[in-house]
Amino acid sequence: MVNLDASQFGGITRRDALRGTLLATSAVVLPGFLASCSSSGTKAGGTSGATVSGGAPDWKQFQGTTLNFISENTAPSAAIAADSAAFTQKTGMNVKIQQMELGALVQKVALDFGSGRASYDVIYADPYQVLAPYYKGLVDLNVFAQDKSLPPIPGGIEDFIPSQLLTTGRFLDETKLYALPYDCPTMIWIYRKDIFAKFKDQMSQALGFDPTPSDNTTWEQYYKIAKWFNDNKAKTGIPYGTGHQAKQYDSLMCDFSNILASYGGGYFADDTKVGGIGSASPGKCMLDSPEAIQAAEFYNKLLSIANPGSTTWDWSGADAGFQAGQMVMVPNWHEFASGDVAKFGENVGFFRLPKGPKRCASIFGGTGISINANASEKQQKAAWLFLLWATSGETQVADLKSKVGGGTPTRTSVYEMPEVVQNSKWPSTMPNLLATNAAREAWKPENAYMRPKISQWNQVDTVVFTELSKMLAGQQSPSAAMKSAKQQIDKIVGA
Amino acid sequence: MTPATRKRKYPLGGPASGGISSESRRRKKSRWIPSFELRMMLPGIVPLAVLSLIPFGYLIWMSVSKVTLIGGVSLTGVGGDNWSKMFSDPAVSASWKISAFYFVATVGIEMLLGVGIAILVHERLFGRNILVSILLMPMFVAPVIVGLLGRFLTDSSFGLYSWLLTLVGIDSNVLGSPRTALAAVVALDVWEWTPLIMLITLAGLSAVPQPLIEAASLDGAGYFKRLWYVVIPSISGVLVVALLIRAMDAIRFFDIIWITTNGGPADATKIIPLRLYEIAFRFFDLGYAAAIGLTMLLFSIIMANLFVALLEKKKGAAQ
Amino acid sequence: MIARRSRFSSAVLQILTVLVVLFTAVPLVWMALSSIKPTNDIMSHRPVFLFRPTLEHYRGLFTNGNHVDRYLVNSLVAAGVSSLIATALGALGGYGLSRSTMRGKRHLAFWIISTRMAPIAAVLLPLFLIFRRLGLLDSLSGLVVAYLTFNLPFAIWIMAAFFDSLPGSLEEAARVDGCSRWGAFWRISLPLTRAGLVTTWILCLVFSWNDYSFAQTFSGTSSQTLPIAATQLITQTGIDWGQLTAVGVIVVVPMVIAGLAVRRWLVTGLTLGAVTGE
Repeated sequence: MVNLDASQFGGITRRDALRGTLLATSAVVLPGFLASCSSSGTKAGGTSGATVSGGAPDWKQFQGTTLNFISENTAPSAAIAADSAAFTQKTGMNVKIQQMELGALVQKVALDFGSGRASYDVIYADPYQVLAPYYKGLVDLNVFAQDKSLPPIPGGIEDFIPSQLLTTGRFLDETKLYALPYDCPTMIWIYRKDIFAKFKDQMSQALGFDPTPSDNTTWEQYYKIAKWFNDNKAKTGIPYGTGHQAKQYDSLMCDFSNILASYGGGYFADDTKVGGIGSASPGKCMLDSPEAIQAAEFYNKLLSIANPGSTTWDWSGADAGFQAGQMVMVPNWHEFASGDVAKFGENVGFFRLPKGPKRCASIFGGTGISINANASEKQQKAAWLFLLWATSGETQVADLKSKVGGGTPTRTSVYEMPEVVQNSKWPSTMPNLLATNAAREAWKPENAYMRPKISQWNQVDTVVFTELSKMLAGQQSPSAAMKSAKQQIDKIVGA
Repeated sequence: MTPATRKRKYPLGGPASGGISSESRRRKKSRWIPSFELRMMLPGIVPLAVLSLIPFGYLIWMSVSKVTLIGGVSLTGVGGDNWSKMFSDPAVSASWKISAFYFVATVGIEMLLGVGIAILVHERLFGRNILVSILLMPMFVAPVIVGLLGRFLTDSSFGLYSWLLTLVGIDSNVLGSPRTALAAVVALDVWEWTPLIMLITLAGLSAVPQPLIEAASLDGAGYFKRLWYVVIPSISGVLVVALLIRAMDAIRFFDIIWITTNGGPADATKIIPLRLYEIAFRFFDLGYAAAIGLTMLLFSIIMANLFVALLEKKKGAAQ
Repeated sequence: MIARRSRFSSAVLQILTVLVVLFTAVPLVWMALSSIKPTNDIMSHRPVFLFRPTLEHYRGLFTNGNHVDRYLVNSLVAAGVSSLIATALGALGGYGLSRSTMRGKRHLAFWIISTRMAPIAAVLLPLFLIFRRLGLLDSLSGLVVAYLTFNLPFAIWIMAAFFDSLPGSLEEAARVDGCSRWGAFWRISLPLTRAGLVTTWILCLVFSWNDYSFAQTFSGTSSQTLPIAATQLITQTGIDWGQLTAVGVIVVVPMVIAGLAVRRWLVTGLTLGAVTGE
C-alpha cells in the first residue's frame, strides 16, 4: 500500500501515479478482492472502491458524481467555489457549493434532516449550532478513514492541530469523528502598529508601563491604553482607543468570553471538558461566581469607553470600523488580517490577547466539514473524497493564495512549510498569514478557550448575549445580568 | 330570456344585490350541481386549501407535540406543555408588547403620513405625475434591501446619515441603543410602506365628487373644516381597505428588523415573528414555535375581523 | 382642488413637498451612487460626493463565482409566472366569490383572506415537508407555488372587490342577449376590470419579487433569487457594500419600472376596487 504520508500533502505524486498506471493492466482482479476486505461500515455493493492496483486507492473511483456542499460564506468556501476545477480534475467529480449566512445554513440543515433525505452531502458543521444538536445525523468518519478502498487522510489525522480536531470533530464520544477541521479563526489583538510606535514614549510616561503588546499585558492595562487614546484623540486623529463586536448577537458572547475566562470565570464548572469533547449534561451554570461577575464588571467598564458603534457591530462591522480608522485597537478574529493588511500594510500589528488575573484566553471559532448520514453510501464515500481534498494541505495553501480566499489552515504541516513561514512576516504574498504567529500563540493549551459544546448551546448563547446587551444598554448591573443569565441557563440545561 | 322570465328568475333584482335567485333555490332542491360561481372559484380555492389547511392542521399537531428532526420529522405528544410554557414565558410576553408598539407605531404613522402626503400631492397643480412616481419607489424595494440600506446609512464608520447627525452634534449610534434602534426600524418600515397608503388614498381622493366639495365651500367652511368633515369621511372606506392591506403584513413581516438589529439591542426590537423564527430555527423547538404561531394567527384573525366588520358597516352606511 | 391658494400656504406646501421627496429619494439616490463608487470612497468616514465612477461592482456581481444574472432570471420567472397565475385564478375565483349567493359566502371570503395572515416561520416546516413530497424543492416551479400561498388569497380578494363594484345588470343584459354565463364573464365583466387585473398583477409581482423567507427556505443552487443574492454578500469577513448597493439597484429598478409603467392603471384600479359600495 502506498504510504501517502511520505509524499507531498494532499495527493498522489507523479511517481505514485506512474507506478499505479504501470501496474493497472496486470491487476484488474484485485478491486473486488480489496473491496470485500474493507471495514464493517461498507457493504459489498456494486459501487464500492475500485482501486488502481498495487493498493493505491483511486481518487477517481466516483467519477461523474455530483456532490452538494452547504457552507457558511467563509473564505475557504469562497476559494473552493471559485476554483472547484481543481477538485474536478483530481476526482472527476463535480461539487455544487451553496454558501449562505450561518443562521440560514442552520435552518436549511435542520429542514434537510427533517426531510429524512439528503439534499446536502457535505455539511459545514459549526460545532455549536450543527455538530452538537445534530451529531446523530452525521457520519462517523472513522469508518472511511479505515476503509482501505478509499484514500487515507493526506498527511494523516495527526497533522490536524489536536485541540481543533477535538473541538470541531468530536462530540461526547472520543472514539467517533464527525468532521475534519476546515477553518480555525481565533480572536486576537489587532492594533495600529504605527500609532503605537509614534506615541510609545508619551504613553509609557503617562501610563507608567510600556504599552506595546506583550505577553505580560493585562486587560486592565488594555483598558488604560484605550482610555489614553480616548483622551488624546486630538493628537492621534483617531477618535477611540478600542472598539468591540458587541452587537446583540453571537459576537458579543465571543468577545465577552475572552474576558470571562481570563478572570477565571466560566459558563459551566468544567469549561475545558465541556468545550472540548462536549457534554450532554454540563451541570449548573457558573456565571454567578465572583470571578464571572468581576469579568462582567470589567467588560462593562471597558465597553463604556469603547467606540459607541460597538453595540451595532458584529465582527465584520468591528473590522470595518477599525479599517475606517475609528479605533486604534480591536479584539477580532485573526482571519481579518488580510483585509487589514490590504488597508494598512505593515502598520497593522497582531498579538495574542491580553491576560486577565488568572490567565490569557482566546476564543476559538473554527469549524469542520462533515458528511450527511442520510446520503446514500456512494454519495457518502464520494463526499469523503471531497472532505480529504478540501482539508488537505495542498488545498489549504492554495486557499491562502487565492484572490477570493485567504483561509486559515488547520494543519501543522502547512504552518511548517518554508513558504508559509516566510510569508508569516512582512512583506508577504499571503497576508492572512501575518496574524499566524499571534494565532498559534492563542492555540497553546494554556491560552486557548473553547466555548461549551452542548446541544442547547443556541439557547444558552442567546441568553448570554441578550443579558449582556441589556447590561451594556445600562438596563441592568453586571451582577444582575450574570445572575439572570445563570437562572435562565440552569433552566435550559435542566440543572 | 324575456323580461318577464328575468323578473321571475331574479325577483329581488339580481346577484349583485345579494338576493337569492329562485334558480339557485330550485337547484338546492334537486341533486346538488355546483353552481357556476362555485366552479369559478374552485381553481383558486383548491390549491389555496391544500397550501393552507394542511400546514394549519400540522401546526395544531405540532403545538401539542415535541418535534425532532433527526432522521425525519417525528412528533411525540406532550399535551398542553408547549401552551403552558408559552403563557408563562416572560420573553414571549415581552415580544408581544414590543410587537404591539411596533404595529401601532408603523401602521399608525404610515396611515397619517400616507393620507397627509396624498392630500399634499392631490393639491398640486404641476408635476404631479413625476412627484407620484418618485414617492412610490420605496414600496417596490425588497424589505431585505431596505434593512441593508438602513444599516448602510446609519453605520457609524461610513454611513451618510450618521455623518449628517454628527454635523448637528449628535454622536450617532442609531442602531446601537435600544430606543433609537426601535425608532430606526419603525422609520425604515414607514419609509417603505407609506407610499402604499398614499397610493390607495390618492385613488380615493380622486373619486371624491367635486360637487360635494363645492357645496361645502359654498357653505363657508374653511379648508381644514372641509377636509375633516367632508373629504375624510368620504374616503374612509378606502382608508379602511388600506389599513387592512397593510395590517395583514405588518404583523408577520420581520425581514427588516432581522437584517438590521437581529432583535437587539437589549431585545428592544425583538418582535414576536422574530422570536418565533428564533425558536423554530435556532433553538429547534418547533412544537413551541407552533404554539406561538397559532397565537399570532389568532390575533391576526381577530384584528382582520374587526377591520372587515368596519368595512361592512361602511358599506351598509353608504347604502 | 380643495383649497384656494394663498402665497403663504403655497410656500408651506412647497417646503413640505421638498421634505417628503428628500425623505423618500435620498436613500435610493445614495444607494445608486454608491453602486458606482470605488470601495475606498464608499467606506470613507466622510461621505464622498465627487468620485470617479466605476462599474467594478456590477462586473463583480456577474463573475467571480457570483451568478447574479442567473438570480435575476430566476426572480423574473418565479415572480412573473406566479403573479400571472395568481391573477388568472384570482379573476376566476374573485368573480365566483363576488357573484356567489351561497350561505357561507362571508365566511369563505374571510377564510380566503385569513390564509394570507399565516406567520411565516411557523408554516415553513409543514410547507417544506409538502414541497419535499411533491419534489418542488430547489426548483422555480416550487417557488411559483410558494408565492401562490400569499398571492392567491390576495388576488381573489382584490378581484372580488372589483367585481363587486360592477353591477350585475350588465351580465344579466348579456344573458338576455343569449350569452352563456361564462361568455358574460369573459366578454363583458372581465374586460371592464382591466385596471383591477393590472393592479392585482403588479402588486402580486412586487410581493413575490421582494420575498426573502420563502425563497431562502425552498430554493437551492439552481433556483436562488435576487434577495438571496443580497444576503449572500454578507460574508463572514465583511460586507461588500459596493456589490450590495449594486444588487440593491438591480433589485429595485425592474420593479420601479414595472410599477411606474402601470401607475395610471394602479390609481384607476385602486379607485374602482377600493371604493367599494359607493
